[in-house]
Amino acid sequence: MKRLYFLLLFFVSLNAVNGQEIDNDLLLIKRRMDSIKSYEAQIKLDVDISFINMPSKYGKVRYRQGEPTKVTSRDFIMLPKRGLDLTLNELFEHPFITVNRGQENYKGVSCKVINLIPTSSKSQFSIATIFMDTSAKRIVKSEISTKMEGVFTTSLNYKNDIDALPTAIEVEFAVNNVKIPLRFLGKETQVDRKAIKQEGSKSGKIFLTLSDVQIGR
Amino acid sequence: MISLIRSEIYKIGKQSKTLYALAAILIIEGFVFLSAYYQGAGIIDLLLDNLKESFEFQGNLLNGNLIIYLILNSLWFHVPLILMIIISGFLTSEYKDKTIETVMLQPVSKLNFILSKYIVSIIFTLLIVLILAVTTFLISYWIFGYGDLVVYLDGLNFFESEDASYRLINAFLSGTITMVFFSVVSLTLAVILKDATKTWIVAAIFLICSNLLLKIDFNNEIINELFFSKLTDSWQYFFYYEVPYSSIYFKNILLLAYSILVMAIGVLIFKRRDIQG
Amino acid sequence: MILEARNICKSYGSLEVLKNVTIECHKGRIYGLIGANGAGKTTLFRILLGLIKQNSGSIAIDSEGIKPIGGIVEKPALYGYLSAYGNLKVFAQIQRLKLTKELFNESMHQVGLSPERKDAVKNYSLGMKQRLGLAIALLNNPDCIVLDEPFSGLDPMGISALHALIKKLSRENQITIIISSHIVSELADLCDMLYVLYDGEIIKSGSAARLLKENVTTFKISGKNLEMSEVLKNADAVFMNKSVLVSPKDSTISEVLQRLIEEGVEVTSCIPQTDLKALFGREGV
Repeated sequence: MKRLYFLLLFFVSLNAVNGQEIDNDLLLIKRRMDSIKSYEAQIKLDVDISFINMPSKYGKVRYRQGEPTKVTSRDFIMLPKRGLDLTLNELFEHPFITVNRGQENYKGVSCKVINLIPTSSKSQFSIATIFMDTSAKRIVKSEISTKMEGVFTTSLNYKNDIDALPTAIEVEFAVNNVKIPLRFLGKETQVDRKAIKQEGSKSGKIFLTLSDVQIGR
Repeated sequence: MISLIRSEIYKIGKQSKTLYALAAILIIEGFVFLSAYYQGAGIIDLLLDNLKESFEFQGNLLNGNLIIYLILNSLWFHVPLILMIIISGFLTSEYKDKTIETVMLQPVSKLNFILSKYIVSIIFTLLIVLILAVTTFLISYWIFGYGDLVVYLDGLNFFESEDASYRLINAFLSGTITMVFFSVVSLTLAVILKDATKTWIVAAIFLICSNLLLKIDFNNEIINELFFSKLTDSWQYFFYYEVPYSSIYFKNILLLAYSILVMAIGVLIFKRRDIQG
Repeated sequence: MILEARNICKSYGSLEVLKNVTIECHKGRIYGLIGANGAGKTTLFRILLGLIKQNSGSIAIDSEGIKPIGGIVEKPALYGYLSAYGNLKVFAQIQRLKLTKELFNESMHQVGLSPERKDAVKNYSLGMKQRLGLAIALLNNPDCIVLDEPFSGLDPMGISALHALIKKLSRENQITIIISSHIVSELADLCDMLYVLYDGEIIKSGSAARLLKENVTTFKISGKNLEMSEVLKNADAVFMNKSVLVSPKDSTISEVLQRLIEEGVEVTSCIPQTDLKALFGREGV
């Protein structure tokens, strides 16, 4: 009986040890991203939100290791709060554990899916789900549930099998319709109050296209 | 006709009330500038409030283009009111001072006389709008610079700086046609009423009612499409993301037709009436 | 005949203002239109000048000029904020007349105004405004000028000056001038012909001298020691401050004056007083 008890304890401990470790594939990907000391690229932003009409915006994205990613443009631009952290620095900022969720097919790519669960209360997110293309050693999708800013789902598309940085990023998030007094500037449009109330929160997307990427190692 | 128009322009240029009118319009514009500036930041906050959760913003939306847009919104009530007062005065002052009799004692046809009044009124209106537009653009861009414009019109519309400038210029042009309509109406009211105070009162009522009727949905497509008060906001259409040019052209052409009709009524009444101060 | 208005009728609703009024005017002569206030003088002039339309009747002006007829109705209406030059310029321009400096000076001198004055017309006296109004009426050399109560509001000096000007225009420029007034004395010396308008009708017309003579029954005699005259006392004269009113019944005024001189009375003036009742041929005038 005692032996059975210790065996059980051993297996539980093993599993516990597995849950507390950071996934090796994730670490590999992180190491790969850390090798990128800096990069610069031209960026094109397209917003896809039902109540927003905005032309494509162009700017320049610049990353230096240890510094936040900067986007500059001569125009007014709206940057998603999540989606530009290509080097996973924000996720790794505070300690976390990973849980393996198995394999899943995403856009024709077989991906290893893991959950990241922060162990520190200082972390900005409550849980993240990462889809990793282990063969290409890169992330193809992430779903991050932030504590204050809702859920961001980021899709990353790569030009070829060996690129570390994506060429296209799609960030999806929840957004509420604009609520403004009717007596506002602008043409007095027909406002369907019922429809607005029923709509509630909707999802919006922003597409980021990177080109002319220059990586500094 | 040319000589009549030239003499009208000469008289307008010599009257101190013309300067007062111009000063009044510029002072109002100044106040609207201040109001636009202080209002502008609050409006942007209001518009972008829901998006702050998901986005960070870079760039300054409180720029010259937004200020011009806010000024445009205010101008289209204040300016026609002053224009209607000044332009009706072109004729009512002639009745009051009885100079209209002295004019008619010269070899001048009634038709040419009243047409010259209408033409000069239109020229004056165009000049005032031009001065307003130039000062608004110059001062706005000089103080607040260029930048994207955000407008709430069936959604949040963002326009790049050059596109915004293009739309704003066209909005001024389109709004000018509305100003011409109100000017012509005021002169026709002057023909009918002759007295300055009565004309001002009726002109003000006309302007207020037009603005109120603009906002009412008559549930009748013909009225909503063809009634004159529904045609006076075509300048706003330039701020839909996709500009409905055919609608704008239709409205403006129809409004011009209304202006010609109102002019014709004024001319007919003036021609038929005896000249008595 | 330069101007003929025949059977002019004008009504305002049920009120008949002019009833079959006919006047004929010849070139270079001065015509007077006498009538009480409300007789229809101004209405007739407005019709002659084309400001209002008659209900019936015809007007013919025999003139080939650009401006056959000019005039002033009631007070001269000018642009107060403009100078004399500005006013003339505006009114010249609207009738396609270029106001050169020479024309301006000539116009101003013609009516006795100084071309040097630059201030706004609102600062002018009534007499000066009348003159400027006349200058405007004379632009483009009309053949006929109509002046509605031009002496109204003028002081004696102003009246005298305007008298002289009107005579000069008529004689030298051969302009036909029609003047209205409700004061007979204003027109007596000036007009060649008179029309008497009463209640919208022309009741008398003819040579001014004849009409006035026919309707003069009283004379105002001024002089020294009038109160001592037995001739005047016997003539039932009405004694006033320094003059007397005498209505000779059995003799002519010349005979009365002769007898006064013989008496030793120094007569300084003898002014005929028109009998308005007789002139208008109506009681209650």
